[in-house]
Order: sequence, then C-alpha cells, then structure tokens
Amino acid sequence: MTTNDKVNPSIEEVSNALAKMIADKMEIDIATILPESNLQELGLDSLDTFDIIFSAEDYFKIKVPNDQVNITTLHDVAILVHQLILTQKP
Amino acid sequence: MAYSSNAQRVVITGLSIVSPLGNSLAELTKNVFSGISGIKRLDTPFVDQMDCKIAAQAQFNPEDYFTKHTYSMLDRTSQIALHTSIEAIKDAHLTIDDALKPRMGIYLGTGMGGAQSVEDGYVRLFKDGASRLKPFTVLMGMNNAAASAIALEHKLTGPNQTFSTACSSSAVAIGEASRLIRHGYADVMLAGGTEALLTFGTMKAWEALRTLAEEDPSDIGASCKPFSVNRTGLVLGEGAAMLVLESYEHAVARGAKIYAEVAGYGAANDCNHITQPSVNGQSATMQAALNDANLSANAIQYINAHGTGTKLNDITETNSIKKVFGSHAHELSVSSTKSMHGHLMGAAGALEAVITTLAVHSNTLPPTINLAHPDPECDLDYVPNHSKTLPKLEYAMSNSFAFGGTGAALILKKLN
Repeated sequence: MTTNDKVNPSIEEVSNALAKMIADKMEIDIATILPESNLQELGLDSLDTFDIIFSAEDYFKIKVPNDQVNITTLHDVAILVHQLILTQKP
Repeated sequence: MAYSSNAQRVVITGLSIVSPLGNSLAELTKNVFSGISGIKRLDTPFVDQMDCKIAAQAQFNPEDYFTKHTYSMLDRTSQIALHTSIEAIKDAHLTIDDALKPRMGIYLGTGMGGAQSVEDGYVRLFKDGASRLKPFTVLMGMNNAAASAIALEHKLTGPNQTFSTACSSSAVAIGEASRLIRHGYADVMLAGGTEALLTFGTMKAWEALRTLAEEDPSDIGASCKPFSVNRTGLVLGEGAAMLVLESYEHAVARGAKIYAEVAGYGAANDCNHITQPSVNGQSATMQAALNDANLSANAIQYINAHGTGTKLNDITETNSIKKVFGSHAHELSVSSTKSMHGHLMGAAGALEAVITTLAVHSNTLPPTINLAHPDPECDLDYVPNHSKTLPKLEYAMSNSFAFGGTGAALILKKLN
C-alpha cells in the first residue's frame, strides 16, 4: 500500500483500507473481516494491532497519540483513524 | 580440567545450515569437500555504492518457509536461525515432549543481531525524517531475538542465552551449551549461530576497517585466499548453522544417530589489541580445549582453522598451532573453509563446527582453496585445493578467534 490520496475518506473507506492492511498482514481472506470483527479473534495480538495503526499512520498521513489504547474491533480502529484524519487534516 | 567421574558425555545428533554453500547438508557436503566457492558478486541494490562488491550470500527466501505474519516480524538473522532450528530437530529425529521441554534450551551466537532491522529504523528516522518507528523495531533488532524466536517455536523452557563475542560467538555458544549438558543442567541443547550483516551500513563499516578482500579479477570465487602469499583479506558472508547437542545417555536411549562427540571446549582471551590476534591468546585457547578434553596434542589430526585470509591471522594462527602442537604441527592437517564460504562472523564458528563434524563423520578433510602460492611463513599442511581422506580420523579441532579477543576452540571426536 502506498498512501491515501482522497482528501476526506468516509469511515467506510477508512474501514475498508484497514481491513485490507489486516488481510495482507495476517494472510487472511478480506471477506472474513467485518467492521465488528474482534481483532484478537482475527489473530492479532497487541503488537500486531500497533503495527496496523503504524501502517495506518503512514497511509493516511496522521499521527496516533501514544495514549490511544482502547481498541477491540476493526470499527474501533476505523473511528480512531477517521477522527484523526478530520482533526489532523493539513 | 578433566571430566569429573559423573559428567555426561555430549554428542551431536542433528545438524542444519543456511549458508553460502547451500541450505542442506547434502549441498554443503558436496560443495565443501569439492572445493566449490560460494563467494560471488554482491547481489544487492546498493552494490554500486560499495568499494567491496563481493560477498558470500546465502540464498534464503523466507516466503518459502514461513507465513508472512511470522517472517515480517523477524529480522533475516532470526528467520535463518529459526529455519535451521526446525531442520536440525528434524535431522535429529527428535520429539520434544512435555518432559523434555524444561530439559532443553537454546544457546546461540550472533555478532550484529538484527542489523538490517536496526538499519531500516535509522533510515526511516534520519533519512526519511519519520517521527515514528515500526513497533517491531526493538524486537527485530535485539541480539537475543533469534534465540527467543527459536525457544518460542519449540516451547523450550530450559536455558535460553545469546552470546556475542564477534567472530567466535557461535563457537562459544556451542562450547557453553555442551558444558550445560556435561554438568547435568540440560539433556538436549540447540546450539549454533546466525548472522545476516550484508547490509549497506554494516558493509560500509567493514570497508572502513580495511580487512576485506579485493575481488580476484580472474575469478570472483577465488577472492579469499587464506595462507596464500597473494591473499588480500576476508570476504563477508551470511548464514546460520545449528547443532542438536545431547547427552550420550539421552541419545542412546532414544536410538539417535550420532555424528560425533563434543570432546572438549576451550576459551581464552587475547588481551593484546582490539583487532590484532596474538600467539599467546590463540595458543591458550587451543591448549584450554585440549586440557578440557584431557587429551594430548598429538591426538588432534585435523584443525578447521579460523583462517580468515588476513596476513596477521594466517601467520599468528600458524605460529600458535606450532606452539601448541610442537613437531606434531607438521603431521596434522589444517584447512580454512572460509576460502569457500567466506566469514560468517557470529555464525562462523557454528558453520565450521558443522563442517568439522561432517569431516570427522566422513573421514574427509575439506580443502583450503585458492592456495596456489603458499605464504612462506605459513608452512603447515593446509589441505591445498583438494579434499583428502583420512581413514582413521578420530579427533578434530575447530578454531574461532575474534575482534575483541575472545578465542574458542572445540574438539570433536568420532564416536566408536
């Protein structure tokens, strides 16, 4: 993945991009990844989740604050990233 | 110090390698005893920025062995070490059951650890101006990453330690692991070394030391010429080598095939200079191994030399052998297999221990290749250019010396 070139991606678009990152990293079928999917149940441990957030930072050109840790589902990550895109928009 | 009466004998029951001479024992055996060189033109995007454009690279593609999730959080150093651990256990036909797990561990040597991962982090930070590093940077770069990945994979809850003494790292790991078994702290140990430092930054650092060999214009594969008057230095290599060490009792009880016995291990420190070896340090190392094996010098028939292909090492090692072995130095054979596989740094001692094991097991001495013009100051039998058979080969020594001064010698014995 390179970087996102859309100025205001919707939360669905953010979620889809994150699902693609997870599918690529974990080598699982993207069709099995839903917004409500529990990341741990998809096989991601805490470090894997940080790694996805790291990839999202690069892709969406955002910076996730270090204190953001309350994440369980893909939707949780999508909300976090989407809000940061809106607030950190250049 | 001789064995105490209740000490366990230590035997080698499994071997595996990822090396410039192939990734299977069959390939290694074929190449190393036929005098085939693994030294080639450096195959990397930064080759044009190097003065030194040769290396002994291992052909290893992690996608062939691991899931992306596994290999993407392991530095190449850990990938090749983990692979050799799996293959060595297979070679030993060893089943690691719940009873064995606490009695089995991993001792591993590496010089630079996850060099590429550390370098990738610096590139991102200093060159690309990023404000963050990958979350796995520490876990991929730390020196004990490979040993820890191995312990996790096989669920080994016995001792897990990493030794970093530059070029002698993995000989130290094997020696110390054999002592654990000998003194009853473990029944089985994985022991070996790993190194993957053919990175831009590390190779540039080596270039600055001015010890790297020049490319032989007529044959790149002949660029490393230990004990030769026209030598120009060492050739950097990469790879991993793993041994399964086991108490003799444990091996016999499960009917394991035994390659050889680890009969002795000696370590000593040079205390001469950070890079320059000394006869005192090297001879003390070899003598310590002989003492450990309770063996007279005359028993050793073959020495796999440290043999880097630098003038200082070649002559110092030759003189050290003469000091320890006296007139017997001219009766035994010495060879530097680095002439073929290059210098694997932290993995060198382990790869050479594997080769020495194969030599003892097959009664065949690997050659020093590219030895057409012997240095007059190096006047021993270096098994020039062609392997030779020694039907009654019983004891062999493998030497490893290092920047920083830590020397290690292993004595391997054919099991009768």
